[in-house]
Amino acid sequence: MPRIGFFINPIAGMGGRVGLKGTDGVAAEAVRRGAEPMANARALEALRGFKRLLDNSPNPPAIEWLTASGTMGRKALQAAGFALVETVHTAPAESTAQDTKAAVEKFLTAGVDLILFCGGDGTARDICAIAGEAMPVLGIPAGVKMYSGVFGVTPAHTADILMRYLAGEIGLARVEIVDLDEDKYRGDEWAVRLYMSALTPFEPTYLQSAKALISSADEEAIKDDIAEQLREDIAAEPGTLFLLGPGSTVQAVGRALAIDKTLLGIDAVADSKVIGKDLAEQQILELLDRYPERKLVLSPIGAQGFLLGRGNQPLSPAVIRCIGADNIIVLSTPAKLARTPLLRFDTGDAALDADMISRKFLPVIVGYHRARLVKVAA
Amino acid sequence: MTGNKIPTVYELSVPDRHGVDLPAPDVPQTALPTEGLRADCDLPELSQLDVVRHYLALSQLNFGVDSGFYPLGSCTMKFNPKVNEQIARLPGFAEAHPLQESETVQGNLALMFELQQWLAEIGGFAGVSLQPAAGAHGEFTGLLMTRAYHHARGDLKRTRILIPDSAHGTNPASTTMAGFTAVELPSDARGNIDLEAVRVACDDTVAGIMITNPNTLGLFEEHIDAVVQLVRACGGLVYGDGANMNALAGIARPGDLGFDVMHFNLHKTFSTPHGGGGPGSGPVGASARLKEFLPGPVVEFTRDAQGARYDLAMPDKSIGRVATFSGNFGMLVRAYAYIRQHGTKGLRENSEHAVLNANYLRVKLRDAFTVPFDRINMHEFVCSGAIDGTGVRALDVSKRLLDYGFHPPTNYFPLIVPEALMIEPTETEAKPTLDAFVAAMQAIAKEARENPALVKEAPHQTPVRRLDEVKAARELVLTDRAKSEAP
Repeated sequence: MPRIGFFINPIAGMGGRVGLKGTDGVAAEAVRRGAEPMANARALEALRGFKRLLDNSPNPPAIEWLTASGTMGRKALQAAGFALVETVHTAPAESTAQDTKAAVEKFLTAGVDLILFCGGDGTARDICAIAGEAMPVLGIPAGVKMYSGVFGVTPAHTADILMRYLAGEIGLARVEIVDLDEDKYRGDEWAVRLYMSALTPFEPTYLQSAKALISSADEEAIKDDIAEQLREDIAAEPGTLFLLGPGSTVQAVGRALAIDKTLLGIDAVADSKVIGKDLAEQQILELLDRYPERKLVLSPIGAQGFLLGRGNQPLSPAVIRCIGADNIIVLSTPAKLARTPLLRFDTGDAALDADMISRKFLPVIVGYHRARLVKVAA
Repeated sequence: MTGNKIPTVYELSVPDRHGVDLPAPDVPQTALPTEGLRADCDLPELSQLDVVRHYLALSQLNFGVDSGFYPLGSCTMKFNPKVNEQIARLPGFAEAHPLQESETVQGNLALMFELQQWLAEIGGFAGVSLQPAAGAHGEFTGLLMTRAYHHARGDLKRTRILIPDSAHGTNPASTTMAGFTAVELPSDARGNIDLEAVRVACDDTVAGIMITNPNTLGLFEEHIDAVVQLVRACGGLVYGDGANMNALAGIARPGDLGFDVMHFNLHKTFSTPHGGGGPGSGPVGASARLKEFLPGPVVEFTRDAQGARYDLAMPDKSIGRVATFSGNFGMLVRAYAYIRQHGTKGLRENSEHAVLNANYLRVKLRDAFTVPFDRINMHEFVCSGAIDGTGVRALDVSKRLLDYGFHPPTNYFPLIVPEALMIEPTETEAKPTLDAFVAAMQAIAKEARENPALVKEAPHQTPVRRLDEVKAARELVLTDRAKSEAP
């Protein structure tokens, strides 16, 4: 019997309705401006959709739910008609991020197969920070910002993914947990930051393996295909500096080179050997002085498609200008691109952004000797 | 037939039962050499009647165009006229040896020569090679010709082939096999190749573009002229995937649109039987500038003082052979017979009827199923098989269609339409069949809303119920005996 930990961040999404661009640290202000809680409504929509799918299923799995009290989960599960619900954390009426952490800790202690939550990027971060990188996590979108890879597109989509995962139709893939710096965001600045990776039920990449036969390929295997292309390219350019950016897609390049690539940092490779790890801006600039030929390898972050955000502090406008926009190599799996229709740039340098935008499309490596032109957001 | 599992020949086996009695020997008996004897063969022991009934029963489980409607998009499952089979079995065709001297097979060479001429006329090309053994083989051939063309001009930096994201999966596969890098181009909101993307992609590293027109959404590319011009202007060649020629034959010629090289699928447009692994045939047509690169041998005709004769010859700059001898000759005979029977007018009418039938189905089904690109289509169209809020997906609709006696459409292709069902009725189906299919699809959409479990558990009427496709793909059991020996 699958055991699912279920958690709602009841204040998620409130800031967005009243123009606050996020609710982190400003929930009281949101309420003052007249925001009403909406996370429970989104969660209920997903749970009801999931219940309907279970009822329509020939062999529905019986699910044991572990949750937190009241509007942090229990209420919505009961409203959706689920019976096997155990409350493992009781929160006060004014819940905080501490309650998120406490509930997740209790899920882990009790033993769950997956954590389903409703919230935004902040909630995803709080949950994954405790749950770690090995616990499957799936999000019902209710926040203001949902750039992390764990979210369904809509509550109904999340329900569909969960159903198919429990039925064994789809497997897990490693995705990125990202968040914006909300203080900067409120000042109309984008600052996307990659925090960690997490496992999530993932709709596979469909591949056409013959005229009318479709098979799905493992997301990690596709990352390895992409990485093999890069390994060949790096070997074909001796003496060129390759700066490997953050994220799990670029991390796979490290696997192909048999080096230990940091997930969050920027590492440097030349002649297929590591020459720097987790580099700061100054260290990168020094390397750029030494290597006249250089390439920067990046993968878009989150569904919003940010290729360069201010979250990548070491990749300052000075660094990007020095490398040259023509020397940026972009990698992505087709499944990630399917959720990322546009690439966005935010280098912190308007002229540089304008240069990238003027290209209209950028080639993205999506497999071994396969690339795809992807539109750049205007 | 529900639950009526047919036993295997091993399960039917009875010790010491046999099909034939050999007469007593009229020569002295000799023992078989012992090193050649095996006791562990475990062969089934059956009478002739057991064997006949077993295989007849198995054959009746087959579904083909001869048993019912088969709207498999992109595959053009049209009727294969039986007269073509009779013609292909004539001894002069069936018993010719590929090593016979040309003088002794002049009739067969004449057939190949005429077929080359006809396909060149139908496609608007300067020359045709009948060598390739399948559509994807034709793609690979065309790409090798593309490379040879650029190299012959000393142009060595063209490494990229542009391919729209609606293309058949064989296009990027052939591209990679031929040593190029495939660059996918996005489609625009109307289902065309995004013209802006073509403009951005075109530079001096582009070897060519592969275009399927009509594309796999069944839509005629509205900017085809502009796309061809852009690619040619940057020095690239235009490859045509002729899989969807059944919408164009007799009406429009890819060569006239500026295509340099294209394969024909004889088993689609020209009604030769679909493989099951072969034999197929994917002849390649080429423009004047590519003609000399065609694979050979091709058939040439000469008339001089000694008379008229047909000969096999290699084009001047040929990429060489891509198949043994002269390709799959039996398929060439069938396609020849088909074209001969229909003639110019008949081919055009076939294309018109194929397009009319597909548009009829689209309009009849668009209320029950979402049609994402709902505009006049060509010989096929794509709808979404997902019924919102019910959990019913394209695969479920397809499985349920089996209960209604129809072969399902192509599932989950093209990839740019989620939950795609790609429907191609072909010209050989009459209105009552199309109406019966519409009624079945509408009934399934209704069932999905009223009783989704019925659809999700389908099929109910087939000898085997729904298979666990994930398990089947991951735990291969390839023989009946492997099953019993599996841990």
